[in-house]
Amino acid sequence: MNRQAVRLIVSRSCFALALGSTVTSAQDAPPTLSMGAHAIGLLTRATSTPEGRTLTEAYLTQPIVSADGRVAWFQAMGMLNLEGFTLRRGELDVGEWGEGYVDRRHPHAYVHELMVGAATPLAPVAASLFAGRGFVPFGSDDPMSRPFVSYPVDHHLSQILERLAVVSAVRARILLIEAAAFDGDEPLDPSTPQLARRFGDSWSVRATLVRSLASLGDAELSASYANVKSPEYREGQGMDQRKAHASFRVDANGRFSRYALIEVARTTDVDHGRPLYTFNAALAEGALCHGGTGLAVRLERSDRPEEERLLDLFRAARPATDVSILGITQWTTLSAAVALPPRSLLSAHAAPYVELARIRVDRTTAALFDPVRFYGSNLMWRTSVGLRFGIGHDHQREGRYGVAAAAPPSSTNSPPHAHDMSSPSCFR
Amino acid sequence: MTTARLLRLLPLLLAAACHLDGGTAATPHATCALPGGSSLGTDAMAVIGCGIIDSRYTAEVAVRDSFAYTTTWGFRSALGNMVAIWNVATAEPVLVDSVIVSGASTLGDVAVSDDGALLVVATERSNGSLVIFDRSDPRHPRQLSRLATPETFNGVHTAEIGRVGGHLYAILAVDPLAGAPTPESKIVIVDLGDPASPRQIFVKSVPSTAPFVHDTFLRDGLLFVALWNAGIEIWDVGGGGKGGTPAAPVVLGSVATVGGDAHNVWWLHDPASGSRYAFVGEESGPAQLGVSSVGDIHVLDVSDLTHPREVAFYHVPGAGTHNFSVDETSGILYAAYYNAGVRALNVRGDLETCTPAQQVTTGSLVRCDLGAMGREIGRGLSQGTPPVYVWGVQYVGGIIYASDMLNGLWKLRAVQ
Repeated sequence: MNRQAVRLIVSRSCFALALGSTVTSAQDAPPTLSMGAHAIGLLTRATSTPEGRTLTEAYLTQPIVSADGRVAWFQAMGMLNLEGFTLRRGELDVGEWGEGYVDRRHPHAYVHELMVGAATPLAPVAASLFAGRGFVPFGSDDPMSRPFVSYPVDHHLSQILERLAVVSAVRARILLIEAAAFDGDEPLDPSTPQLARRFGDSWSVRATLVRSLASLGDAELSASYANVKSPEYREGQGMDQRKAHASFRVDANGRFSRYALIEVARTTDVDHGRPLYTFNAALAEGALCHGGTGLAVRLERSDRPEEERLLDLFRAARPATDVSILGITQWTTLSAAVALPPRSLLSAHAAPYVELARIRVDRTTAALFDPVRFYGSNLMWRTSVGLRFGIGHDHQREGRYGVAAAAPPSSTNSPPHAHDMSSPSCFR
Repeated sequence: MTTARLLRLLPLLLAAACHLDGGTAATPHATCALPGGSSLGTDAMAVIGCGIIDSRYTAEVAVRDSFAYTTTWGFRSALGNMVAIWNVATAEPVLVDSVIVSGASTLGDVAVSDDGALLVVATERSNGSLVIFDRSDPRHPRQLSRLATPETFNGVHTAEIGRVGGHLYAILAVDPLAGAPTPESKIVIVDLGDPASPRQIFVKSVPSTAPFVHDTFLRDGLLFVALWNAGIEIWDVGGGGKGGTPAAPVVLGSVATVGGDAHNVWWLHDPASGSRYAFVGEESGPAQLGVSSVGDIHVLDVSDLTHPREVAFYHVPGAGTHNFSVDETSGILYAAYYNAGVRALNVRGDLETCTPAQQVTTGSLVRCDLGAMGREIGRGLSQGTPPVYVWGVQYVGGIIYASDMLNGLWKLRAVQ
């Protein structure tokens, strides 16, 4: 997207904000400020890691401090992610990849999210405009706000985050349209800021139909597309990406809280306008909670690019020095998780959980990368046990801002209403 | 639902997963045995012999006298930190020794000095360096020194060596590396006058529009630099008449080749056409290493060094080129062609005059198609069985030595 397109997004959002102001007066709600802190103590064991080794490791993962403040139409939200301190070498997670890490999940940026903006009241037509560093309207929610601690393989196919972004949203009854302009370069490491001059070289749009259905709960059907310039080459000269995603999500609270997500994603690497490699993903996950006890299941089949490993076999060269790859592998993972009731003290809580995953990797071509030679087997198991710690406000759903974060209307004639829309409480 | 019930469901779910696997079965990597055992194949460039390396991916080859040196790349069952030393005096190359370079994961390039005294090896990726060996005993090279500087840290992709005014230099193509102190790609020139104490005498960052440098070619005081999307630059380093030196090169001219991705260069000295042509290898995408590749050979008319221009090309459907070696006495260019094996081209004489039927127009540029002109005169390892992925070639005395990422080292009979 060029600068003209950025101006278009901003101008349309301002128009929508003005439109909202003509139909509804400013909210009278008092200013609010909420804060929270979360972390997960994790012991994980994985078989068949690079060179066939079985590894057992322990660390503090997803340590975050978050805050959310609202005054009338204005809202600010921030999340500090401290994985740069606790997960410098990455979280052991065979199949995971991105940002130079392979078979380990990379640590996220310290400034995971810092967005400010305004949203009109939730009238029949509402709009919002947010800017800062955060999530791009593309794909599904950040895995950190979903039931599993372990990230899915499709993380870099189904989410775009930690970008300098201007995100606008317009909502008319059950239809939600979001658009964003952002910088294509993915984070270099937890602390290095993005190149401001690259802001606006990438764009995304997402359309969502939202509806509260009595039988299923809050339901969403969404489709999104993103044009990302040179995510891996910071200076902007590397391969671009064309990303598409579609999903169906339901979420219901009550005696049995329920959550389910089905998503498909496709990313195509593009060089000089020529499509080179295509990576597909399909994922289904669900969770059921009752009385603090929960069960979650995830089934995923996702493609992964294989790149030259470094002396540390959990790292890959970034940027690649040409447009070649060592092959595309297909990862099929079935995971199950059990969350047990939390123990609370004052406003803090600690909840134990167990995750078990069966992972299979297959070659899709006879290209160089041979998983059986590299891992010693194409079948892996990962077992994790841990404790979720939390204090203050719950994990909010991550990846949507302003009117896009409101709950759906219960009928086509009723307006949407404020709601945190987070995942089942037993997995927070 | 109680916790106990939930836990009881877990084994059932995991058992169900066992029936969900359906990956594509991959063809095992080949050995260098040809169909029918000892057949020499049907290619014009017949197989004389081969030496297998299965534990590592083989990269570049350098041959001198009766010894060949092949480097290794990435990780297969072991790191690409080994230089294999082959005795090639007999039909079958015999692995006689190897050298492990510490702290390296890829040794992408290897070269022998024109007097045969030195062997140099590039170590790529982090902690990049140039390792210099004494070849007094060619069977057992002895490390003399290792140059590792902040400018080579990102990884040395290629190391070419050659003389300017009788003095020996190494030209290093250094990778970009995200997050490094100097993340950009660079060209580094090293004075090898005292190989035990190599001196870095020149560094130039590659423009971000390139954004890589992959290879260089030094001859007669001119340095040809392959700058990927920025094409080819020609530098005066002592032979261009513009006052350039290895420590202070002067850019004479440049040209953007069709399609970009300029990877390597060979400046031809031909008895018929003189020093008129340079050949550029395009290492394009998509390439899944081991099975596919894309990229043409581009022919530049460099008779005016300040205004080089592209005049011809050679294309192989379904494959892309990599490194070259030229038998200049016979006017034959041998090109590594990854999954298509090795191709031999007649490059003698005029390459830019052709019939309209042999021309291809790209935008406003009209080029001759060497394939349509019948310039291809031989193929090697092109039958697809066994699968090959040829990285480099070297012509020595009627023999083509081809390094194959999948299998190791091949000896082929050169085109007669």
